[in-house]
Amino acid sequence: MKEISVIGANAITYPHLDIWNWTIAVYLFLGGMVAGLMVLGAISQFRSKPLTGEGVSPASCYLSPVLAPILLSIGMFFIFLDLTRKLNSFWFYLNFNPMSPMSWGAWGVGAIIPVSVLWALASIPEQYRHYLKWPKLQDFSFKLSAYRNKLAVANFALGIFLGIYTGVLLSGFVARPLWNSALLPILFLNGGLSTGAALLVLIARDPKEKLFFTKADIALITSEIVVIILFFYGQLTSTAPHVDAIAPFFTTGYYFPFWIAVFTLGIGLPLALVLDVMEVAGFAKIRVHLSAWFVLIGGLVIRLALVYVGQLSSLSDIVHR
Amino acid sequence: MSLTRRDFLKYSAVAAAGASSVPIFKSAMAMGKKPEKVVSHVTTFCEMCFWNCGAIAKVENGKVVKLEGNPANAASKGKLCARGNAGMGSLYDPDRLKHPMLNTGKRGEPKWKKVSWDEALGFTAEKLKSIKEKYGPEAVALISHGSGGSFWKYILNAYGSPNYTAPSFAQCRGPRDIGYLLTFGDGPGSPEQIDLANSKFIVLIGSHLGENVHNSQVQEFVEGIAKGAKLVVVDPRFSTAAGKATWWLPIKPGTDMALLLSWINIILQEDLYDKEYINKYAMGLKGLKEEVKNYTPEWASKETEIPADLIVETAREMSRYKPRVLIHPGRHSSWYGDDTQRSRAMAILSALMGSWGREGGYYFPTKASLSLVYPGIPDMPEPQKHKLSGDWPYAIEATTTAMRRATITGNPYPVKGWIANGCNVMKTLPNQKETIEAIKNLDLMVVVDILPFEHTEWADVILPECTYLERYDDIKVSKGKTLSVTIRQPAVNPMYESKPSWWITRELGIKLGLEAYYPWSDIEDYLKKQLEPKGIRLETLKEKGTISFPDTANPFIAPGNEPVFNTDSKKIELYSKALKEKGFDPVPKYKRPEAPSNGYFRLIYGRSPLHTFSRTTNNQWLWELYKENEAWVSAKRAKAMGLKNGEYVVLVNQDGVKSNKIKLKATERIREDCVFIVHGFGNNSKDLKKAYKKGADDQGLITRYAVDPLMGGTGMRVNFVKIVKEA
Amino acid sequence: MPRYGMVIDQSRCIGCMACVVACKKENDVPDEHYRTRVVELVEGTFPKLRMELRPELCNHCSNAPCVYNCPTGASYKREDGIVMVNKKKCVGCKACIAACPYDARFVDPRTGAAHKCTLCEHRIKEGKEPACVTTCLSKARIFGDFGDPQSTVSKIKADKHIRVLIAEAGTKPFVFYLNPEPLA
Ligand SMILES: Nc1nc2c(c(=O)[nH]1)N[C@H]1C(S)=C(S)[C@@H](COP(=O)(O)OP(=O)(O)OC[C@H]3O[C@@H](n4cnc5c(=O)[nH]c(N)nc54)[C@H](O)[C@@H]3O)O[C@H]1N2
Ligand SMILES: Nc1nc2c(c(=O)[nH]1)N[C@H]1C(S)=C(S)[C@@H](COP(=O)(O)OP(=O)(O)OC[C@H]3O[C@@H](n4cnc5c(=O)[nH]c(N)nc54)[C@H](O)[C@@H]3O)O[C@H]1N2
Ligand code: SF4
Ligand code: SF4
Ligand code: SF4
Ligand code: SF4
Ligand code: SF4
Ligand SMILES: [Mo]
Repeated sequence: MKEISVIGANAITYPHLDIWNWTIAVYLFLGGMVAGLMVLGAISQFRSKPLTGEGVSPASCYLSPVLAPILLSIGMFFIFLDLTRKLNSFWFYLNFNPMSPMSWGAWGVGAIIPVSVLWALASIPEQYRHYLKWPKLQDFSFKLSAYRNKLAVANFALGIFLGIYTGVLLSGFVARPLWNSALLPILFLNGGLSTGAALLVLIARDPKEKLFFTKADIALITSEIVVIILFFYGQLTSTAPHVDAIAPFFTTGYYFPFWIAVFTLGIGLPLALVLDVMEVAGFAKIRVHLSAWFVLIGGLVIRLALVYVGQLSSLSDIVHR
Repeated sequence: MSLTRRDFLKYSAVAAAGASSVPIFKSAMAMGKKPEKVVSHVTTFCEMCFWNCGAIAKVENGKVVKLEGNPANAASKGKLCARGNAGMGSLYDPDRLKHPMLNTGKRGEPKWKKVSWDEALGFTAEKLKSIKEKYGPEAVALISHGSGGSFWKYILNAYGSPNYTAPSFAQCRGPRDIGYLLTFGDGPGSPEQIDLANSKFIVLIGSHLGENVHNSQVQEFVEGIAKGAKLVVVDPRFSTAAGKATWWLPIKPGTDMALLLSWINIILQEDLYDKEYINKYAMGLKGLKEEVKNYTPEWASKETEIPADLIVETAREMSRYKPRVLIHPGRHSSWYGDDTQRSRAMAILSALMGSWGREGGYYFPTKASLSLVYPGIPDMPEPQKHKLSGDWPYAIEATTTAMRRATITGNPYPVKGWIANGCNVMKTLPNQKETIEAIKNLDLMVVVDILPFEHTEWADVILPECTYLERYDDIKVSKGKTLSVTIRQPAVNPMYESKPSWWITRELGIKLGLEAYYPWSDIEDYLKKQLEPKGIRLETLKEKGTISFPDTANPFIAPGNEPVFNTDSKKIELYSKALKEKGFDPVPKYKRPEAPSNGYFRLIYGRSPLHTFSRTTNNQWLWELYKENEAWVSAKRAKAMGLKNGEYVVLVNQDGVKSNKIKLKATERIREDCVFIVHGFGNNSKDLKKAYKKGADDQGLITRYAVDPLMGGTGMRVNFVKIVKEA
Repeated sequence: MPRYGMVIDQSRCIGCMACVVACKKENDVPDEHYRTRVVELVEGTFPKLRMELRPELCNHCSNAPCVYNCPTGASYKREDGIVMVNKKKCVGCKACIAACPYDARFVDPRTGAAHKCTLCEHRIKEGKEPACVTTCLSKARIFGDFGDPQSTVSKIKADKHIRVLIAEAGTKPFVFYLNPEPLA
């Protein structure tokens, strides 16, 4: 064991990185969920016939497009909160750095919001269009509805991008072994889709629709569990800093919260899965809502844990754990 | 590097302009443009410790923004240490003493009243006059550390007292100076006349170079190591220097004498000493041999807990490199009470290696000399009584502790007034109770300081000195391989109502009716009249900072450069008849130190590279980096006691004195029988916003001290502490 | 074009911390923040101990993750190799801080902008060495131009005991460490 003492250390980097807090985790969570809404909302639209006249489309077909830009904006607000030079934010858009995930994110989200707003306008069912106050907007919405499917395709693609991006934002840092894993973007995309599905389970009214998203979630939770296991396995079989990086998850004492996180996920996700399967298999009257909540909470917990524990991980030999 | 030299020339040119002219803002400011910075460079010397490195202050718009070493100065060689770099931390310390103050309450329970300089000095002068009348001038004593001290010594002499004391004798390097003086007829000097850079074998007994940062000495130490010198570090603690050592000897504290005597014995037994040198320059070899013959490595190993074979190996290795062997004389040497004799053992060992006056060993300082006196000063009054140097035959200076004793007992005569200049008596002297008892006996306690350290609580009157960056002081004359003079001049004007010592003492002198001793009109006149007869122009010195005189320096023994030993025998005294006559051991003897009782540790202390004693603890830029000291305890013992690294504990000494809370440093880097803390922490003055109650005070725990019978040094490593979990 | 950087001779460093304070004052670094630090590592058990002193600062990496992770172009690399922050463009997203394997950056609490060692470019411009180098008591810090094969640093760089910190991060640092016996 080494005795380490550092004279001239900065509190935000020593004894470990301490720059990002829950706001970033919430941003990533919401970003992932929106990605899920965009992808699943689009699928939902492809599955249902284009709407004309009286037909009532499933809630997911129009709630996904409407919620996406709103939730994403809330997410952006959280990341904005984290900036220490907020008045300079315009610089995000005076520069594009192809190597910087943060730059991709700024531009990406900048593109997603208008495209998803258009999609939302295009997807608003006729009977709700009057909620759009201005007649011009109602007109516009009507005209756009013709492009609904094309916009859905665009949103599907952007949703995948967004889901991956929330992971790449962290995985791009070679300096932080916990994050620096190719599986992280997959994990975040997968997690985003499952939280999106869970949200849709909660807001869908039509039982068939609920069943559809429950089925989707079964697939997504299953793959998420697999990816999480693979993620840890990957770290465990990598270099020493990667092995050290996951230690807080399996340590009690000071790192108890992270242990709790793993515990929550370890119980929550499988439980959600079982509940879903039981629902689909037609068992009694189990409310899938409980399962959906598990997934949502799990999604938030996993991001919080990764944001915090990632900052404990380092390639340097002076970082204490 | 030619670059820095050229640069420096550039500097000095501006320095000349900057120091003498008042900054004038360019008219650009009036035009609404960004005002251009007015930058000047002012030469001075550092006062963050007493190495007094030549420095250059960069002043921007009237603010000192940076300090750098003056390449023309031998103490700095163009570099400053951490503390020197943080010098403006004293200058801009918001907690500074800002006005003269009188205590209208009781002594030690002060009620401060801001007063004018006139009132403060009037009060002081009245008190001094009445003490002189009642008890005679010698009843006033000065305890001083630092550059302004020369002015205080001057006024004290003019007043008629010989009692000028400094902690640098009995609490610091007195024992070693006397030990060397008794052996070579000369001390190792300050700065130490050691040729570290060219040494092939360096031995550090305690001396924790690197943590103890005396700038040029550290530079030369590293140079020596980098050139391949072997290094032995004898220290119960794995110091930074030990981290560079070829051999670290984790000695049992207090047993260094056993190691030294055993080394001497081995070297004599195996005929490894420099025969030619000893035959030619030394006396008493036979007596020495006789006295040390029983100090075998096996015996020493039991005392020191250093393996015998390691003792033998290091003795032999050291001899291989003679005479390029440097047994570092140490500096803070008042450890265990037998310190003069330990230093003598080190001197004897150095003699056996033939390294006094040899390259890679000790060098002879330049013979050139310079004494700066102001012309036409009347003679100082002859003191009527002997200075307070106790009964110790080799106390060549008035000593702090003799003065303190006299203040308490009135023996040999009463002491009724103290002037403490740049010296925090609460932190400097062992046994704070005794210090307080003495202060309570005084009629007058004057404190001259820059910051409200705890001793100011005991003052009747506080005279706020300005910091070194705001003042002139006496010219610093240094004798190393060459002779040089260095100036201190203000980089900025004094802040608040603080004043330089030269001004304070002159005003006080006039109030005391001593105007005859103060004929100069101002400080520049005072300096000029001293410098000009020696052919040094003040303006040139102000510009260059340091001027060195080329001379016929002859640092090493060579044909035609034979050494002179100012001992009784005019030779190196391996065996001292003088000591024998006075009833002391002619050759040092070993005395086993008292062992800590169960559950106790010996308390040892030292330096942090980031602080100077207590004086820098409130300095923003040093405080930031090292806010509080830690108690170093062996990891093994900490574990056995169920103590965790980093937790706060309290140290309780053998007399039940409790320390402030202090962080535990559980470490492999220290023996199991001692606790180490950095000296100077645990300040009790609430007015020091940053330093207040940070860390523990070693001095508070040093209630006992062992007195060196030769010269009155206070051995301060004779206290034991136990570790208690913080309540 | 010069390629500025540093060699640090660890066997010389004596842990005096002069560099840390000098840097701070030279560059008006905010309170309680530092552009450079000194790491002290001790290994072993009493009395068999080894010590390593390792001054650290920005490595002015050739492949600098702080630069390629900066979304706004505020972090940039000059042609002479010095990695700088243009505080006018900085949004304070801290991506560069997360990206730097050497933890060489922080946020200046006064401005909110990322802050780091500039290799004292303002001094280099005046023909001086960086402040930490000038004051280094042990001459452990050696500044120079790696673009010039004749420079001292270029010559030292050829030593077989030269290494860089966290080489596996692929950052291609231009602060080289000379240390025959680094701790494991
Ligand atoms: N940074 C800094 N540097 C300074 C000063 C400062 O305040 N700050 N002060 C200056 C002054 S005035 C002085 S006098 C010097 C003092 O500095 P030194 O002369 O070096 O002081 P020492 O007491 O010899 O050294 C302290 C070391 O002795 C070790 N030690 C303790 N007990 C024993 C023992 O019984 N035997 C042995 N062999 N070692 C022991 C301690 O572990 C510690 O490492 O430093 C000077 N330099
Ligand atoms: N326990 C213990 N005692 C020790 C030591 C130890 O290591 N441990 N070391 C001993 C040694 S080696 C020495 S040399 C002495 C040192 O003893 P001192 O030199 O007395 O040490 P400090 O505690 O730093 O007290 C210095 C005081 O000077 C003030 N001061 C600083 N600059 C100026 C200035 O420009 N003008 C004026 N007027 N005041 C100023 C500071 O504010 C502070 O109050 O201590 C000795 N005592
Ligand atoms: S050694 Fe450091 S503190 Fe002492 S005078 Fe020199 S620069 Fe100043
Ligand atoms: S050390 Fe860090 S801050 Fe410096 S260039 Fe490399 S990545 Fe950037
Ligand atoms: S904090 Fe500033 S310099 Fe760093 S990545 Fe963000 S914008 Fe660039
Ligand atoms: S090069 Fe300059 S900015 Fe960088 S660490 Fe050294 S002094 Fe500080
Ligand atoms: S100034 Fe030099 S010797 Fe001192 S700590 Fe810094 S690098 Fe080491
Ligand atoms: Mo001292």
